[in-house]
Amino acid sequence: MSKRTKNVDVAGSETELTAMTRDLDDLHHDVAVPSMWAGVSNMIDGMRGATARPTSRRVFLMGTGAAVASGAALLAVGSTPGLAAAATRVESHLHLADAAFPPAGLEGDLAVAAVAASLENLAVFAYQSGLAAATAGKLGTVPPAIGTFATTALSHHTQHAAAWNAVLKSRGKAKVTVTNPTLTPTIQANFAKVTDITGLAQLALSLENAAAATYQAETSKLKSTAAIGLSASIEPVEMQHIAILYYVMGMYPGSQTTAGTPIAFSSTSAAA
Amino acid sequence: MTADPRALAELLEESQDLHADAMRPTHETLDELVERSHSSRDDDLRSNLDFHEDHARGLRQTFGGATLLGAAGGAALVGVLASAASASSSKDAQVLQTAASIENLAVATYKTALTLPYIGGATANGVVTKFAQVTMGQHAQHADAFNSAIASLGGKPQHKPDPAFVPVVNKAVKSLSGATAAQGALGVVGLALELENIAAETYVKDTTLVRSISNKALFASIMGIEAQHVAVLLAVQALLKADAPQLISLSEPATLEALPASAGNVGFPNAFYQTSNAAPAKQGAVK
Repeated sequence: MSKRTKNVDVAGSETELTAMTRDLDDLHHDVAVPSMWAGVSNMIDGMRGATARPTSRRVFLMGTGAAVASGAALLAVGSTPGLAAAATRVESHLHLADAAFPPAGLEGDLAVAAVAASLENLAVFAYQSGLAAATAGKLGTVPPAIGTFATTALSHHTQHAAAWNAVLKSRGKAKVTVTNPTLTPTIQANFAKVTDITGLAQLALSLENAAAATYQAETSKLKSTAAIGLSASIEPVEMQHIAILYYVMGMYPGSQTTAGTPIAFSSTSAAA
Repeated sequence: MTADPRALAELLEESQDLHADAMRPTHETLDELVERSHSSRDDDLRSNLDFHEDHARGLRQTFGGATLLGAAGGAALVGVLASAASASSSKDAQVLQTAASIENLAVATYKTALTLPYIGGATANGVVTKFAQVTMGQHAQHADAFNSAIASLGGKPQHKPDPAFVPVVNKAVKSLSGATAAQGALGVVGLALELENIAAETYVKDTTLVRSISNKALFASIMGIEAQHVAVLLAVQALLKADAPQLISLSEPATLEALPASAGNVGFPNAFYQTSNAAPAKQGAVK
């Protein structure tokens, strides 16, 4: 394999790629956002009459918890809690659940929507915290590709949370503004240990893996067709985040085993 | 790259003719379904025609008038794809057969691409070669999994490629002739990107179409893998277009600093995966 050691003049290519990114951003707002609302609208219609499925929420919660716990075990974090201060500062922006979660009155697909929103909120928190730490110089030199990755992933997770909350709001339910209470302590603890961009990327990877695995599992468990469609439209995007995270970390750019062997079928083990 | 608009126009016209010919068996099959479901026939016919139009447009965008893929493996792929899948069985089985036909097409395409010096040869980028090899193997596993699911439903396995997209691939491969390594690599990446995106979009949609939970789970376990292929190919395509192939590399994170900023997000253009390019559910069903 070739090495990425040659530092090339990418001035021209940078311009071209920036233009391409701008086009993609335009496309994103022209196509993706209306599509999101169409998807949400369909889901809202489709969820009318969806039956309660009490076990789904529990499995969802347990799954995401297990996912991040296992992801945390793989983290290569520094012994010095260099981000502890940053983590403490961003904690003030955290809105932790202070009551039962999901809230009473949410069952079946709506309970899943609430948990999904809380998981997306957690991802938003993590990326916001990471960007804040990077801006504050806590992570050393931050490659430009990491900055655009984090900014775009943050935007995606914000939109995912908004989509699930739009579903809840349409059914007369309160929006979920808390981060997932099961995972938040783990993410906070791991974030406090991150000292460099590699550690942050690994933390992001564990979160993205948890999200993708959970959506994958829920896609075959949700009741309403529209909810399945919304979940299925998000899972591949989280998987794309994963692929590019691996790539920027210098690893094979696709889902893989812990030994680094690419896998042909994504797993729900992180969500089960 | 230089463009030859007249050659492109001829290419597209021929491609559309071929595409229309290939669509005929699908339409005839759909006609046969009239007795079973008149409304279903109308929907399917419309879907297939839409698919045809979309991918004629996609071909234009992908290849942009440039000389394309090289002749080396072209004839072999044309031979492999000479007989395409046609249609029929239970709804889940038909959806699975269509998925298998897409996987078969992908396997054949990567297999041919790997015979090209700038994809699988000594001068090729190592990451691109490995990606093509791994991805081809993954598509073969996907085809096997879809065919196993079909067998569990008592249906016929699908070992042929998607009939609607075969002409597009054939034409693209033929037009490789005379391409430089850079042009050829870009053409192959563009073609693979189109196929991978069709697969991903189709499977996202299929999760809402199939009835059994196990089949939903199967599509859910594959759609994200195809989406990852799309993300990687988008990044590779961007770096090739930027004339920076040396940055297509897997190495220590320290070299990450050399990547342009947009390499960090070019791989995921949408927050929600689209389905507007999904293949019609019965397009690759076995008759």
